[in-house]
Amino acid sequence: MLYFVARRLVSALSVVLVTLIATFALFFVAPTDPAAAICGERNCTQERYNEIKENLHLDRPKVQQFAEYTAGIFAGRTFETAGVVQKCDAPCLGFSFKNDRPVTDMLKERLPVTVSLVAGYAVLVLTIGVFVGSMAAKRRGTTGDRILMGSTLIVSSVPYYIVALMISLYLTILYPILPRGGYTPLSDNPGKWFVGFLTPWLVIGIYNCTQYARYSRGSMVEALSEDYIRTARAKGLSDRKVTYKHALRSGLIPVITIFGLDIAGSLAGAIFTERIFDLPGLGNLVLDSLQSYDLPVIMGTVLIASVILVAMNFLVDVAYSLIDPRVRLS
Amino acid sequence: MSIGSPDSTVGVEDHPASAEPVRDAGMAHGKSPTRIAMDRLRKDRVAMICAFVVLFFILIAIFAPLLAKLEGGDISSFKPDLVDEYGFPTIGITSDHWFGVEPKTGRDNFARWVYGARPSLVVAFVATLFGTIVGVVMGLLAGFLGGWVDRVISWIIDFVLSLPYLLFAIAMVPIVENLRGGSFNLTPDEQASTRFFVLIFVLSFFGWAGLARIIRGEVLSLREREFVLAAKAIGVPTSQVLFKELLPNLVAPIVISASLALPAYVTAEAGLSFLGVGLIEPIPSWGQTIASATNWFKADPLYLWLPVLGITALVLALALLGDAVRDAFDPKTRR
Repeated sequence: MLYFVARRLVSALSVVLVTLIATFALFFVAPTDPAAAICGERNCTQERYNEIKENLHLDRPKVQQFAEYTAGIFAGRTFETAGVVQKCDAPCLGFSFKNDRPVTDMLKERLPVTVSLVAGYAVLVLTIGVFVGSMAAKRRGTTGDRILMGSTLIVSSVPYYIVALMISLYLTILYPILPRGGYTPLSDNPGKWFVGFLTPWLVIGIYNCTQYARYSRGSMVEALSEDYIRTARAKGLSDRKVTYKHALRSGLIPVITIFGLDIAGSLAGAIFTERIFDLPGLGNLVLDSLQSYDLPVIMGTVLIASVILVAMNFLVDVAYSLIDPRVRLS
Repeated sequence: MSIGSPDSTVGVEDHPASAEPVRDAGMAHGKSPTRIAMDRLRKDRVAMICAFVVLFFILIAIFAPLLAKLEGGDISSFKPDLVDEYGFPTIGITSDHWFGVEPKTGRDNFARWVYGARPSLVVAFVATLFGTIVGVVMGLLAGFLGGWVDRVISWIIDFVLSLPYLLFAIAMVPIVENLRGGSFNLTPDEQASTRFFVLIFVLSFFGWAGLARIIRGEVLSLREREFVLAAKAIGVPTSQVLFKELLPNLVAPIVISASLALPAYVTAEAGLSFLGVGLIEPIPSWGQTIASATNWFKADPLYLWLPVLGITALVLALALLGDAVRDAFDPKTRR
């Protein structure tokens, strides 16, 4: 077990390290001019350009720059802009000259929005999605099951952003049946926070419930055909107990695996939901940074998202190997 | 056939000892697995309807210039006389403008719609092609050669699969534009064509890894089979073993993966264009039209619904067709 965890950890760390090098190479080593990109090409004075170049240490060798960047992540570093020394505490992911503040601060500000969105989403898919899936598995082959599975296939075949956009335009703006999306910090006003997230949660949750219903139906069908289910039935347990206590436990394992990766992916991939419902999360931060060519912010977000994904991958693998010992052997 | 005694060649003509089955026109058992799958697919009514829808869009994309000419419109001429001072179109559907005109600019909606089918299909097909070729080659190499080649390729697959692809796609845009001299130094045409290649590159870069992993797994079990061992024993070069012996046995996973990739790429292209990261003016694309139509949807719903229906119908048809293809090629499902 220890050997398995260690091996997975080394592989996860190697992926993080290569991602770090790759993002750095993309933004700073490729024949691009980060100083010009950061400065903005329309109203960039020569002094400002030189200042940025000096403050980012772009005139030094690339390896040294990379060492400084990496050191900044662990120990923090300082930047000088317009004569003022700015402290960038660890983990320092760079400095946004456009906004005159460290990237880490900007990410910290946006993270609660994305986390709130994903948390509500997680609750919805795990309850409704799994419940619908197990119901369908129990009634496998009936007309209801077929209609349900057919409709989930059709719903999940329509692009997500089309569904979200049309609901946002028609049900929150033209006919305001659902509340419009918006962000209020949870600590300021929990009620407003909830109302602002209600529509985005419903849309992203119900759309993705179709996927979860399919997954859990599949694994529940398999679980329900196991010998121990027949034993449980034979000894006279109630139907509900057999389904939800005996079958669901093993049937949930593959669903949980997908869930772990999906949640990590959603943290980085809630861009459409954030843009359409106007939530100032990480995804919107990246899109806004793209408009203003704020490369350090994009780079920092990509790095953080990759680390979250890799960490989740690792946790799911370890959790899975605890549940199912066969995984460790492969 | 004069080598050896006459007895030893009896029946050789009829039953050659190679892996190739005897193809006799009148015999049913000579069908290849691909043929069987195609026959199943042809009987699937949903699949056939979807195939027609996809074909319809492909024809629209191919004959876009002809259709636009037939209508008499084009994608780029501005007609300020057809919109009022607030930018709302003053005309509806007319014989000159079958789907009306765009708000603000007065460009022809029909021409922009038929041309909009092009990037969706081109990006999706090219990215699928690249992704499939790279995925198959990498998977074959990793599975067949084993050892350190396998370890390196498997690591790269894990690496690619653990990257947040949407964010990387967004990050690639400024970098590539910067490589070409910065977005301000590029003409709109150059910028648009850059975006086109960035899209194809990003989609195929993140698309090959999943297929490579499946192919590797299949090859690991195939390479121990007799026909491969036999080919190796008689000294067939590795490249020939890979592409002549192994590849024909991998048709099913390749077709399945491509049929899943196509709708995903059409969705991704329009989605990225909707976010402003994909295709930009002057190339007409559905995603980009949807993004600008959201500002006009109350006054001009047609402008929004045209690309929305286009993308939905195309993706839905491709996805359901893909599902049917998977059922037809995978003996384990349903039947």
